Amino acid sequence: MQKNNIKRKSPVSGFLDKIFYNKYKKKREGAIRFYDMSSPLVKIACAAIFLICAAMIIVAVFPAAWAILAGFKDLKEFVTGKKILPVSFSFAGYAKTWESMKFARYYLNSAIAVAGGVVCAVLFNGLLAYVLGILRPVGHKVVFALVMWTLLIPPTTSVVAQFVNIHKVVEFFNKLAGLDSMNSFFNVMPLWLIMGANAFWLVLFKEFFESLPKDYTEAAQLDGCTDLGVFTKIMLPLSMPIVVVVSIFAVTAAWSDFLLPNLLLSNSEWRTVMVRLFEFRTAIKVTEIDKLHAVVFSIIPPTIMFILFQRQITRGVTVGGIKG
Amino acid sequence: MKKMKALCLILALTMLVFTVSSCTSTAPASAGSADTPPAETPVSAAPPESEPEEQVTGTFICGIWPADTDYVALQQHLVYEAIFNAEHSNIEFVRFYYKYATDNFLPMVQAGTVPTIFESWFTEPAKLIESGGARDITDILNERGWAEAINPSIKELLSKDGKIYGIPRDAYALGLGLNLELFEQAGLMNADGTPQYPKTWEELAAAAKKIKDETGAAGLCLLAKDNAGGWHWSNIAWAFGANLVTDNGDGTFTSNLDSAEAVAAMEYTKSLKWEYDVLTADPLSEDWGTGFTQLGTGAAAMYIMANDATEQPTANNGLAVDKFALVPVPAGPGGQYSLSGGTPYFFGANASDAEVNAALDYLILMGKAPVLNDLSIAGMKAGNATKVSMGAPVIQRFPCWTLQELIDKENEITAEFSNVNEALYADYFKAVTTEGNLRLEESGQTQNMYAELTKVLQEVLTNSDADVAALMKTADENYQSMLDNPTA
Amino acid sequence: MTAGARGGNLQKKNRIQKNISAWAIMLPTLVLFAFFIWEPILESIRLSTYRGIGVDFSRLRFVGLDNYRLMFIDPNFKAALSNTFIYILWSLIIGFFVPLIMAALISETAHLKSAIRVAIYFPNIMPGLATAIIWTFLFRPGPTGVLNIILGWLGLAPFNWLSARGWTIPLIITTMTWKSAGSTALIYMAGIAGINPELYEAATIDGAKPMRRFWHITLPGLLSLGKTMLILQIISVFQVLYEPMMMTNGGPNNKSISMMMLVYQYAFRDFNYAMGTTISVFICLILAVLTIIYFALTRKVSNE
Repeated sequence: MQKNNIKRKSPVSGFLDKIFYNKYKKKREGAIRFYDMSSPLVKIACAAIFLICAAMIIVAVFPAAWAILAGFKDLKEFVTGKKILPVSFSFAGYAKTWESMKFARYYLNSAIAVAGGVVCAVLFNGLLAYVLGILRPVGHKVVFALVMWTLLIPPTTSVVAQFVNIHKVVEFFNKLAGLDSMNSFFNVMPLWLIMGANAFWLVLFKEFFESLPKDYTEAAQLDGCTDLGVFTKIMLPLSMPIVVVVSIFAVTAAWSDFLLPNLLLSNSEWRTVMVRLFEFRTAIKVTEIDKLHAVVFSIIPPTIMFILFQRQITRGVTVGGIKG
Repeated sequence: MKKMKALCLILALTMLVFTVSSCTSTAPASAGSADTPPAETPVSAAPPESEPEEQVTGTFICGIWPADTDYVALQQHLVYEAIFNAEHSNIEFVRFYYKYATDNFLPMVQAGTVPTIFESWFTEPAKLIESGGARDITDILNERGWAEAINPSIKELLSKDGKIYGIPRDAYALGLGLNLELFEQAGLMNADGTPQYPKTWEELAAAAKKIKDETGAAGLCLLAKDNAGGWHWSNIAWAFGANLVTDNGDGTFTSNLDSAEAVAAMEYTKSLKWEYDVLTADPLSEDWGTGFTQLGTGAAAMYIMANDATEQPTANNGLAVDKFALVPVPAGPGGQYSLSGGTPYFFGANASDAEVNAALDYLILMGKAPVLNDLSIAGMKAGNATKVSMGAPVIQRFPCWTLQELIDKENEITAEFSNVNEALYADYFKAVTTEGNLRLEESGQTQNMYAELTKVLQEVLTNSDADVAALMKTADENYQSMLDNPTA
Repeated sequence: MTAGARGGNLQKKNRIQKNISAWAIMLPTLVLFAFFIWEPILESIRLSTYRGIGVDFSRLRFVGLDNYRLMFIDPNFKAALSNTFIYILWSLIIGFFVPLIMAALISETAHLKSAIRVAIYFPNIMPGLATAIIWTFLFRPGPTGVLNIILGWLGLAPFNWLSARGWTIPLIITTMTWKSAGSTALIYMAGIAGINPELYEAATIDGAKPMRRFWHITLPGLLSLGKTMLILQIISVFQVLYEPMMMTNGGPNNKSISMMMLVYQYAFRDFNYAMGTTISVFICLILAVLTIIYFALTRKVSNE
């Protein structure tokens, strides 16, 4: 049918060209170009591809959207109801879980853990990348090789020993400062510092630094700037794009992490949102709908961040080259 | 002076009972504590009078402090705390909300921050003791005369090499929880408001089928997601006459998972899915918590559960308190048994004798100790009042202490606050007090045995062609290999 | 002494100073790496030669390599090890090709490109734990699960997704792919965008149809990127932990249990940290071998 329409240049086909196919004039990447539109087969393929892409949007967004909407159901409706959408929209259920689970406090804790983590991620990885990429002292190749190995041996596999190590040091400082071991802020600090030892972000920094023109740093050094001064006054301001990328990765990582935080913070007043969600796994007084509400609470802040910074984020991934 | 203060606080506690219970329609006419003569206590709870300038000799880290979200319990504990402080000026009281979990305990042992007292599970004593996190309290219990008062089989569970490490908070015995709304819809009720519940596993299959046909809801919620599956299933195995493990007495164990009786029990379980089709949509997604959700929301009519968890289907998952009943675990060709255990209290390895004593005094205030006095009576009342206000059934506690006058008093207070038709629980309590009915968990590496059984359950519930005998044989070999090669 | 020699001395002194200052700057980060990553790996190896409950060495006893013997006779380990291969297989079928196909398709459309780009990346910023829980709800068995409701619209009976024979691991991989495919696809898209447009035009003049152009220009252009992604994909599969833990608890009958799940169970359920680290060390060994392969591959690629 469509084939005939195109051949006859019917009004329908003209309309389709106007709203859909003409846009392909500007297409400069991939295999299909505007001049291929003479073939009806290609036209159909283009329409099909577009529909599949639209379906991708739905698949990507649906689970989160469903979780938010299903959170309006009550327990019985959620467990025994056979409808995807809730019967009525009332925030009472959400409010109850928020209140009874004291989520405000966990949001604050997560914000603290994330903020410190981002600073450490940028500062420590940036400094090492600066040394390995620009200053290149004796032995930098050995250090870089060691770091690259960690990129491929994930720390999750040694989380037990990692935890034992952290614990010894935290206890040492707690005793030194005479603080209560359970609720002392020293329990949170390892979560900040561990963000400073990330081989992947380090490589991102290093590659970016190496791509910067050498003139700036050399000029600054001639002016008598120290190495550290060059980093803070020249390198960082010039590297804002990559700083933003690493920061975004660090925010997502710090917000989502629960394995180590759960070990370090369980039962302390510094528990983060994800630790709380993880605890729900074994909690007694938590119903299925509370669990769903908590999931929604845990995805709202990253979603807001994503909406605000979508451009930087999607561009950042490509800068990153490999996934975070 | 101090006694006066304590009395005032008891009064405050009694007031609290009224405040809490008056929120509900089923409030009892009178709490009636004034009429009760103060009972004798085996051990005096009052510490010796001390000098005006007292030194703090210890810190009581109260690891059983309720979560700040648990408003009702919190109100109670604030009163307990006030009484405690009035009586123990030489001990610093520290509120500490702690919920035991296997992934957070060892960190605390390492840090030396295990609270003075904490609740755990009955599966844990061996690990807790070996990890060095729990302390030996034998001498203190002997001094107080509490050691003899612990239910002997429970004491056995909490001891190692003749030393006692914990005391029971509550004991439980498994029964069958029923959703009476579904029983009504299926026409399985007697004229007197009691359910026509299944007495044997054969009857259970038939009753479950009837419920499924009449209401569309599952007849039985069987667990097969995690080790709780094997834990519940061992009740079925016993009813079919199986002995799952033999303790050889020399530190070795022999697994009998592939005995003819165990295989018959598993064949029966398989038939619930493939012949009767009375289970929830996928038992492999059900764990201890979702089971209560299914029962409470009316998605399943029957669920194996214990008397100490009756607030789960009701208060927490919305089933009206008068629509719930607890009946005995069905019998089988091998008899009728109920698995029993309980929730224990343990004491941190770093706690001093004075601190442990402080914790035990606190238990008296809570009414969880083998001590009967005004404080413990008020504590028991407050506990029951909380249940009434939450819409959870107030039923007898399972005796974990053998002190008869305590049991009598507890039953009296339970009757006073009762918000349920006792006939709905009568058969359960009759069964579990029958000689030889209660069985403790199997010995050996119990959790590993449950894991092996759960794997078999998962296979027979997802594969209608599963060869039960072969699967049980594999499970038996796996478990025997673990018993022969302990990894810890 | 000549002026040149003096200059050389000065230069040498300068160089030493430079080295010291550089090392001083990277020292804090190196301490972090040592403390959080390198030392724990060594500590794991040590702990794996002991036996007992907890991590207090005074309560543990040295057993040499016996834990590794126990590991290999543990029926759960056997299941986890063979599952790992099934995880890898499915992660190649689903996890590797889906982002590639997505990138190819999105690159061939001219509409809503930035919206699609943003939408497909969105799952990536969702916390992994939340993703696993949401998908468990979506896969819920019985007529009340979301996917089963959709099956109902199509007139089909409810399906027990996660416990159906042969479906468990593919569905877990699907969940993981849902979360990660977007970011991988964006990287492939950048790769496609980086292909010189003249290549396509030249091919067109030679009479190549779009499909041919795709096979002969687009795909070869993604080859080296694809190799890197493949090996990263395989490495990440070895760390599968919370998806099976939250979604199936390793079931049915151990068909989705992963090695990291065993580590977690030994260490954080049984307090048996020694056995936990034994399996960790084993995973590290495998990953080390894969890492060598990865470096060999990337070196070859960069030499080409």
